Order: sequence, then C-alpha cells, then structure tokens
Amino acid sequence: MAALGAPVHRSPPAIYRVARALRWFGIIVLVLLIVYAGSVAYSAYEAAHATVESRSLTGVLVENGNIEVSGSFTLSNPGLYPISGLELAVRLANDTGVHLGTVNVGPDTVDGGGTGEFPIAISLPIAASSAAESLLFVDQYIEVGAWANVTYAYLFPISVALTETRSWGAPFEGFDASLGTPKSVNGSVVVPVTLTWSNHASFAEQGSISFVVDSAAQADCGGGSFPMNVAPGAVYDQTQDVTLSSGCSPAGGELLASITVDGSTTSFPPEPIP
Amino acid sequence: MSAPANVTPPASALPYRIPSLAYRILIAGFRVVLAFVFFVAIPVAVLAYVHSRGVAIPISIAAVTTWGLLLLILSAARYVLKPTAAFGPLSIAVSGVFFAYLYYLVLLSPYRFVLPGGSASLAASYSMFLEILMIVPAVEILAGILTTVEDVAHPGERLPFDYPV
Repeated sequence: MAALGAPVHRSPPAIYRVARALRWFGIIVLVLLIVYAGSVAYSAYEAAHATVESRSLTGVLVENGNIEVSGSFTLSNPGLYPISGLELAVRLANDTGVHLGTVNVGPDTVDGGGTGEFPIAISLPIAASSAAESLLFVDQYIEVGAWANVTYAYLFPISVALTETRSWGAPFEGFDASLGTPKSVNGSVVVPVTLTWSNHASFAEQGSISFVVDSAAQADCGGGSFPMNVAPGAVYDQTQDVTLSSGCSPAGGELLASITVDGSTTSFPPEPIP
Repeated sequence: MSAPANVTPPASALPYRIPSLAYRILIAGFRVVLAFVFFVAIPVAVLAYVHSRGVAIPISIAAVTTWGLLLLILSAARYVLKPTAAFGPLSIAVSGVFFAYLYYLVLLSPYRFVLPGGSASLAASYSMFLEILMIVPAVEILAGILTTVEDVAHPGERLPFDYPV
C-alpha cells in the first residue's frame, strides 16, 4: 500500500499556539488591569470625599516654661485600598511668618475603610520677643502647611501639599501688668498692682499667678500672688496692693510674672515699668 | 482504497470558512463602536468633567481622541484583514501604537493639579501602573511577530483554526 504522506495532526501549529497563548495572556492581563484601575478610580473618588480634616490648634502650658501647640490630622480612607507609606510633615508659622516648628509623622498606613488620626504637637520655649511669647499674648492666625507623601493602592505614589490658616486664641491676650500710684500705709509704701488679660484660648486657666516688682537695679521690691481661674473667653482683672521694700523704687524696673498650673511654673517675659 | 482511520488530513486541508468581507466590516464596526465608548468617549467625558470643575487635566482631550481613534482604526483594519498575511504586521502596528500611547502617558506622569480653592495641590504618579500595563502591548507585539513568521512560513495554515467550520 502506498504511503499517504506524513500525517499532520489536527492541533494548530506550534508558532500559532504560542502566538495565541500570548494574545490571550495579554487580554487577561489587560482585563485585570482595567478592573483594577476601575476599582482604584472608584476608591480614590470615595477617598477624595473624606480626605483630610485638621482639628483646631490648641495651646497648653507645659513644664519648663514651654507652650505646647497641638492639633491633629484625621485621614479617613473609605476606599478599598490602603494608603501606605504615609509620611506627613507639618510646618507651623505665626502670622508674621516666623517659623514655629515642624512635626514629622509616619511612615504609617491607613487601611481601606479605616481612619488614621495623627496628632501633632510642637513645644516652644517662652522667651522674651519670641514667637512663643506672641502665642501667649496675641491672637493671631497660624499658617499650617502640611506635606504628605503616600502610596495609594500599592501602585500610585501621591504627593499632597496643603496650606491652611487656623485662628489662634491667645491664653493671655492683651496681658497687662500695671502699677498704680504709690501711697503710704502705716509707714510703708504700698503700690496697687493690676493684672488684666483675656483668655482667648479654648482651655480654662486654673492655678495662680505670682509677680515680683523689681527696681531698675533689679532689687526685689516686693510681690504678690493671685488665684487664677479664668474660663475660656473670660476677662481677668485683679488688683492687689503690694508693700514695697524700704527705699525700693519700682520706677524704671520691671514686673516679673509667672503662673503656676498643676504644679508647673511658667515665667512670663518681664514687663517694663515706666 | 480508503485511508486508515488514524491518519488525519493536512492542516491546509482542514475545513474552514472565512466570513465575507462585508460581514467582517460589519463586525469590525460594532467593535469600533464598543471600543470607542471605552477608550475614547468615557475618558473624554471624565476629562471634560474634571476640566469643567476647574481642575487641570493631565492630557488634552484632543490627544486622547487622536490616540484613541488611531487605535480603533488600526484594530478594525486588523480584524477585517485577519484572514490575510497583513494580520501579523497589523497586530504589531496596533500593539506598537498602544505601546507608544502608554509611553506618551508615562511621560506625562505625575499628574499635578490644584484643588478648586487653591488650598491643596496634588501630584499623582501613575507611571508604575502604566509600566505594568505596557506588558500587554509588548506581549501582543511578540504575538504579532510570531503570527507574521507563521504566515510567511506557512501561508494560510492558521486559517482553519482562526475560522473553523
């Protein structure tokens, strides 16, 4: 019997099979990536509606004569994918542009459907003519600049720069220490000392405030102490007679005030006496 | 004398039926319409919406339309000419244009924009995603090369498998 020729199998040629497999592989990858991109877009849209909220800045007097400015950033992520590698830098500046401090947060992760709260706190030493001093005594606007680097849904690095202005209520707004006219009482010289300010902070001031009257030669002429219980928004206005040391004149000197809150004493910058 | 049952005919002898040119053009038209919605109309609508909200867009609407239409035309031609030797080269061309389109988009990354009101600015990088997506046209180019080689070496051999009865 004559040969009928080399038998040819019915399966497609090898090159054809490889090409077809590659084509199918490409289609599957394309479909998966489109589905992934679609879900990322949806999640990002959801996340964009929640985004970042910053809580109002508050101040509190802390030990070692510092004032601590604190607040927080809340980042909710209602989307499906995590916000990972979150690194946040927050820079605070007062209304004259003086840099108060920078806080760095992270790296951290906010899972899909989760919320992350990132507290920020900057401790500033209170010194004469310092930025911290102005925070104590002057209402102002604080510029909050935040820079964040995150990776969304594993593949999308995002950088966010956010600048906003927060009003700052000074806890001793308009602080004034004034000396009245000296008078003679039982052979001693007595001078009335009046302390006034408004508490524009969000916290109550409870404790005591002490003062010392110094002469121009920095001799201690006398002093006194007031109880302090000032509610937020309230005005403090107290006067107390101070018996001056014999021969001590406060003219040209200064008044040194300090407050004691929860056992911690913070000295105010000296107030010159005319 | 009849052939033994275990011997099969050569591939070139396998039955196949190539749809008529008119039918292929009709189907290609439907595919173009469908692809137009996904690759041109929806992206353009999204970009126009974002632009209307005062947010800068990462790519011009004209560029999306041009690249999209170029891809659709080449894809339609590829489908219509699938039974011919032009299928392989056209597959390479379609995937090449797709690859170039993605590369063009990579060059535009990151997408920088400022939110309405100017309080926040964002820079979103999507190049990593696009680089992964570039695997698709790269693989398709390879498949096109193999198809071209197949058509040159064995013209018509794939037709029974592309158009089985």
